Amino acid sequence: MDEKKPSTADILAKIRAQKAAAAASSETPAPAAPAPESAAPVPAAEAPVAPAAAPKPAAPAAKPGSTKDILAAIRAKGAGGAAATPAAAEAAPATTPAKPASPAASAGPRPSVQDMLKAVREGKVGAAPAAAAPAAGAAKSAVAAPAMPAKPASATSKKAPSPQRRSLAVLLVVACTSLGCFIGSALTGSVLLFLAGMLVWSLLMTPFMAAFASLAEVGGLWTLHTARFMMPNVLVEPPSKFKVGPLSDYPLNTVSNKWKDQYGVWIVHTDQYEGQNLIFALASVCTHLGCTPSWLDGEQKFKCPCHGSGFYITGVNFEGPAPRPLERMGLKIAEGMLEVDKSMKFQEEMGQWTDPASFVAVS
Amino acid sequence: MESHLQHNPDLTSAVIYGLGWVYLLLFVLNCAWVRRSYAVDGNFRLSLGGLLGKGQEVPFAALWAIYCAMLLMVGIAHLTGSGNPQTFPLKMPEILKEPINAGSNPVAFFVFSTSLFIAMIVFRKVWTTMTAGWLLLNFALLFVTLSVTDYDFRQIVGKPDNVPIVAMLYIVGFFTWLYFRKSVENDKRRAEGRPLVEQENNEKVLTWPDLVYTELICMVVLTAILIAWGIVLQAPLEEPASAAKTPNPSKAPWYFLGLQEMLVYFDPWMAGVVLPSVILVGLMAIPYIDFNKLGNGYYTFNERKFAISTFLFGFLPLWVAMIVLGTFLRGPNWNFFSPYEYWDVHKLELLNNVNVSEWFWLSIMDRQLPVAPAGSDQLTQIGMILLREWLGLVLVAAYLFALPPLMAATVFRKFFSRMGFLRYMVLANLMLFMMSLPIKMVLRWAVRLKYIVAIPEWFFNI
Repeated sequence: MDEKKPSTADILAKIRAQKAAAAASSETPAPAAPAPESAAPVPAAEAPVAPAAAPKPAAPAAKPGSTKDILAAIRAKGAGGAAATPAAAEAAPATTPAKPASPAASAGPRPSVQDMLKAVREGKVGAAPAAAAPAAGAAKSAVAAPAMPAKPASATSKKAPSPQRRSLAVLLVVACTSLGCFIGSALTGSVLLFLAGMLVWSLLMTPFMAAFASLAEVGGLWTLHTARFMMPNVLVEPPSKFKVGPLSDYPLNTVSNKWKDQYGVWIVHTDQYEGQNLIFALASVCTHLGCTPSWLDGEQKFKCPCHGSGFYITGVNFEGPAPRPLERMGLKIAEGMLEVDKSMKFQEEMGQWTDPASFVAVS
Repeated sequence: MESHLQHNPDLTSAVIYGLGWVYLLLFVLNCAWVRRSYAVDGNFRLSLGGLLGKGQEVPFAALWAIYCAMLLMVGIAHLTGSGNPQTFPLKMPEILKEPINAGSNPVAFFVFSTSLFIAMIVFRKVWTTMTAGWLLLNFALLFVTLSVTDYDFRQIVGKPDNVPIVAMLYIVGFFTWLYFRKSVENDKRRAEGRPLVEQENNEKVLTWPDLVYTELICMVVLTAILIAWGIVLQAPLEEPASAAKTPNPSKAPWYFLGLQEMLVYFDPWMAGVVLPSVILVGLMAIPYIDFNKLGNGYYTFNERKFAISTFLFGFLPLWVAMIVLGTFLRGPNWNFFSPYEYWDVHKLELLNNVNVSEWFWLSIMDRQLPVAPAGSDQLTQIGMILLREWLGLVLVAAYLFALPPLMAATVFRKFFSRMGFLRYMVLANLMLFMMSLPIKMVLRWAVRLKYIVAIPEWFFNI
C-alpha cells in the first residue's frame, strides 16, 4: 500500500525537492546580482531540504503520511527561511533600502495613536477657548492653531442664538402657511391656493429648511396614508347573510352542493338527527384541519380527502381523526326563503344544535 | 375492473420500449459484476446430481453470466417486441400481484416494515456483503421494472411528484447498507483485537485541494442532474387553487407525508404541533442525554446498540416508511390502496372509530355518556367532562408518569444509574413520545380506537 500510494507528505517533499533543485540550478550562478527577494528563498529552500530529505528514507517505518510530518517540514522551512533572511539582508544590505526605512519610520517621527489622540484633544480644547483667549492657547496647541483663523470675530458669539431662533420661526411660519394653503386647496379643490402654497414654500425657505420641512411633510403624509391603507374602504368577504331559495328546493335526506363553491355551506335536509325532520346549513370545513370534505351520495357521508375523516349526513363525525361534528350555520326563514347567516355557528359538542336558530324544522 | 383496464392498458409501446433500455442498462451493470465476480468470488463444485460424475469446478461468475445473458435477451425482446403491446407476454404476473394486493393493508405494512427493520439489524452480517448488496439492488430494480408493467403502479410511481421519493428509497437503502457494512467490519476487528479501519488507514488529506475539488465536482454533478431533471420531468401543475375544492387525495409535500400520516391518528394539535416539536427538541437533546463516549469518529454498531437502534427505528419505520405509505399507498379520501389497485374515488372503507370513553360507558357500563344537565354551572360541566374521560386520563397519566419509574427499575436500570434523574427523565419521555405513534396506530387498526382522551369542548384530544 505504501508503495502504491505515495502519501501527501511524500508528494509535497518531492515537489519541494524539485523546486529546490530548480532554484539552485537557476539562481545560484549569479547570487550577488539579483534582488534579495529571490536570493532569500535559496537558502530557505536548501535548509529544509537537507533535514527533510534525510529522514525520508526512514520515514515509511515511522508513518510518513501524518499531518504532523507535513507541519514539521513546513516549520523547518520557516525556521530555515527566517535564519536565512537576515543573512541575505546582511550580505546585500544596499539592495534592500525599504526594510531599514520602515523601522526607522516607526521609531521616528511617525505619531503613535496616543499622540494623535492627544493632538486631537488639545485641538478641541484649544478651539473653544481660542476665541476668548487665543494668546494663552497658542503655546499649548501648536497643532490646532492653524485651524483657528477661520473664526476670528468674537462678536458672533453674542448674535449666535438669534439666527437659530429666527430660522425656527421662519420655518414654523412657512410650514404653517404652506400647509394651510395645501389643506385649503385639498378641501376646496382650488389650484390657486395650491400654487400659493408652493410659492410660499419655494420663496421663503432656505434649502436647509426646505429639505427638513419636505422630509417632515413627506413622512407625515406617508404615515397617514399607511394608516389609511390599513383600513381599505371595501368589503372583501361575501355577505354573511344570503338567501338560498325556498324549502321545496331541498327534498328529504338530500345534501345540496349548490352553495358550496360560493359560500362554503351545504344545505342538508334530513330526519336522521334525533328523529327530527330538519333543514340546516353545514359549514364545508373539516373539523380536523380545515380541508373541504366532499359529499359522497353513494355512501351517504361527507368524506375529507386530507386525512380521511368521515361524517354522517347529520354532520356527526364517525371515522377518521376529526374530533367533532361539522359546524352548523345560522338558518331561518325570511320572506318565504331560507336565509343562511354565516356569522353564527353552532357546535354540537357544545350543545348548541338545540338552538332554534341553527335549523328550520319542517312539518 | 374489466372496464377500466381497457381504457388504461397495462402495457403500451412506449413503456415496453423504455423498459427494453432499462434491461439493457441492467445487463451492462451486471457484465461489470460478472468481471468482478470472476476475479474475486472463486469456484464451486457442480455435479448436477451425478450427471457430471465427481463434479466440476465452476466459477460463481458463471451464474451471474447466465443472469446477464437472460437480461440481454429480455432487453432485446422488449426493444423488438414493442409493436404489439396487447400480446406482449413479459409483464408482472397476476400470481405475484394478487398476494401482494391481498396482503396490503396498514397493519401488514407496518408489521412488514418493522420486521424488516428488526431483520436488518439481526442479519446485518449477512446482507452487508458485496454479493448480498448487489443481489438486493438487482432485486429492487427488477421489482420496480416488472411492476411498471402494471397500469396503476405506473400511475403512482411515475408521477413527477413521486420520482424523488423513489430515488430517496434507493439512496436511503444504499446508505443504510453502507453504514452497516462499515460497522460490521469494525465490530469484527474489535472482536479480533485488530485496529479499526479508521485507525489503520488514517491518512489525512488536505482541505485544499482534495476536499475542495471533491466539493466542486459534487456541485457540478448535482447542478447537471437538477437541470436535466427540470427539463425532462415537468412540474405537475394542477388547476387553480380554490378554497371550496380540496384536491382528492390531498397530499402534503413528500417529506411531510410522515407527518400527514401521523395526523390520521392524532388530533391536529398533537400531530401538528406537539409531536413535531418533540421530534426537533429530541434530536437537539441527543448530545446531552447520550453518555456513551464510544463510537466517536468511526463506524460501529455493537458499541452503540441502543442509540443507533432507537434512532434508526424513529427514522426508518416511523419516518421513511410513513413517507412511502403516504405517497404510494394512500389514495382518494386517504383510503389505503394496494400497489396494484385502481384508485377508486368511491372505494368504501368503513372505519367506525370509538373513543375510550364511549367504549367504557356505552359498552362496558352499558349506559349513556355522562353529560352535564343543560344550564348547569361551569364547575359541574368540568366535573362531568372529567368523569366522562376518567379512564383515558388515567391511562395517559399512567403512560407518562408511571412508566418512566417502572422502566428505570427494570429495562433501563443501568441507564438510570448512569444518567441521573433529570437526563433519564428526558430520555424516557422522548422514548414514550416516539412510541406513542406506533401504539396509537396499532390501537386504531386493532380496536378502531379514535382518541384515548376526547374532550372536543377544550380542543384536547389525545
